[in-house]
Amino acid sequence: MYTTLLIQALISGIILGALYGLIGCSLTIIYGTMRVVNFSHGEFVIGGCYAVMLFYVASGLHPLLSVPLVFVAFFVIGLALYFLLMPRLSRSDDPELASFLTFYGVSLMAGAALLYFFGADTRSLNYVFTPSVIRIAGFILPTAQLVVLGIGLLIIIALTWFLYRTIQGKALRAAIMNRDAIQIVGVNINNLSALAFGLALGLAAVTGVLLALVFPAFVPFSGLDFTLIGFVVIVLGGLGHPVGAIVGGIIFGIAEQLSIIFLPQSLSQVVGFIILVGMVALRPSGLFGKVAMR
Amino acid sequence: MLEVQSLRKVFGGLVAVDTLSFTVPDNSILGLIGVNGSGKTTVMNCINGIYHATSGTIRYKGKELVGLKPHEIVSLGIGRTFQVPKLFRRLTLVENLLVPVLGDSRSDRELAAKAEALLADVDLYRIRNNYAEELSGGQQKLVELLRVMMLDPGLILLDEPFAGVHPNLCRVFIDQILKLQEAGRSFILVSHDLTSVYRLSKYLMVLNQGQKIAEGNAEEIQNNPDVIEAFLGR
Repeated sequence: MYTTLLIQALISGIILGALYGLIGCSLTIIYGTMRVVNFSHGEFVIGGCYAVMLFYVASGLHPLLSVPLVFVAFFVIGLALYFLLMPRLSRSDDPELASFLTFYGVSLMAGAALLYFFGADTRSLNYVFTPSVIRIAGFILPTAQLVVLGIGLLIIIALTWFLYRTIQGKALRAAIMNRDAIQIVGVNINNLSALAFGLALGLAAVTGVLLALVFPAFVPFSGLDFTLIGFVVIVLGGLGHPVGAIVGGIIFGIAEQLSIIFLPQSLSQVVGFIILVGMVALRPSGLFGKVAMR
Repeated sequence: MLEVQSLRKVFGGLVAVDTLSFTVPDNSILGLIGVNGSGKTTVMNCINGIYHATSGTIRYKGKELVGLKPHEIVSLGIGRTFQVPKLFRRLTLVENLLVPVLGDSRSDRELAAKAEALLADVDLYRIRNNYAEELSGGQQKLVELLRVMMLDPGLILLDEPFAGVHPNLCRVFIDQILKLQEAGRSFILVSHDLTSVYRLSKYLMVLNQGQKIAEGNAEEIQNNPDVIEAFLGR
């Protein structure tokens, strides 16, 4: 039974860790391209949760069919937000501080908007796959978690393909490696940054769709939890390294789920942050940090 | 032709470049020399749009450059290398050369062939699949020049290309510059390696504290008392 619990915790940890990794990956795309810390990132994850709930309740749309719709909608929101905010921020005396404060304000506004439209009550998606559980090699696994793992892996593969096989993706990776150089070789960094911002918010919202399928509940101001997880994950993986964020997320997810099994719940939430502190102490640049540094 | 007229760049209370005027004719190499802090790199940064000039005009082939973004200036045919090479560290040499032409209409094969030909010309073909961060500093400077050449610019700004570079590699660099000049390119060459600057540049300009203190050929510059005072002191 001990072994069963351990293996189930590992599986859950990998599944959730993949989602945490997607949150970190999208956050690091913004940071790597623009050197901006998006303090409102978690609110767009929660926005994805509410969006899929809205589509499901209003039109009965299958949650998985919401994924592309939510991505496109939040990609457009990301583009609009970028062109609204970033040109002004880049002209400020201290762009980094200004962007930090601005996106903190965006997070408060986004949370307030969700509160206004959806109320303070805890919401959930209430969608159940049929069958609700699947038995594999003696282990009982919720179908929702397996579906989410599959979709999550597909998204990671698609993102990797985009970053390594498309023109825009290669330019994004180059910009993350050296933002100054990408400008002086003739690439329009403004348009590239807008693409990165839209992509990141779209990814964040899609992650929210998947989270709504596995987490029982969400509330308007729960975005901060996911923003903090995103920060932990990108520090674990190495600032500015998308693949590192995925790996960091999986480590965080496994640590979190294993600690739920073996530690009191109040302590289990701390374990991930203990790993973060340990990583900063032992390898400040993160797992893939050498790659992320200029 | 590049025409700079009354260029002025001020940072707060510091006048980094003060009412500077000069031209760079087509197919020429202008040597820009001066002690540290004289404003040479600031001039380069104003030309390629990293800094916005406080006042003055910079025209290239009749088009005003002041106010344009760096990528817009690149598209007009001005390339730039840096004292500390700005390569994409975790891309291979070929990939580094292909970044400027990512949106080019030519086929990937044609562009890759061009990149490999450029690398072969400077004996870097054998390490074309190495990451840029694995190269020596001098090799990185050479790759940065090759990356500029992928866009076929008419004017190339070289900022300290010989600093910290082995003499053998310097010769390769000089050969490339002369070859490009023969093909019709112009250069602004900033360097403390006066031997190389005198060899490459028929015309030089000397800056001190943001102002032009002398211009002329190598012999005129070497015998100019203001230049001697600026470099050696009283």
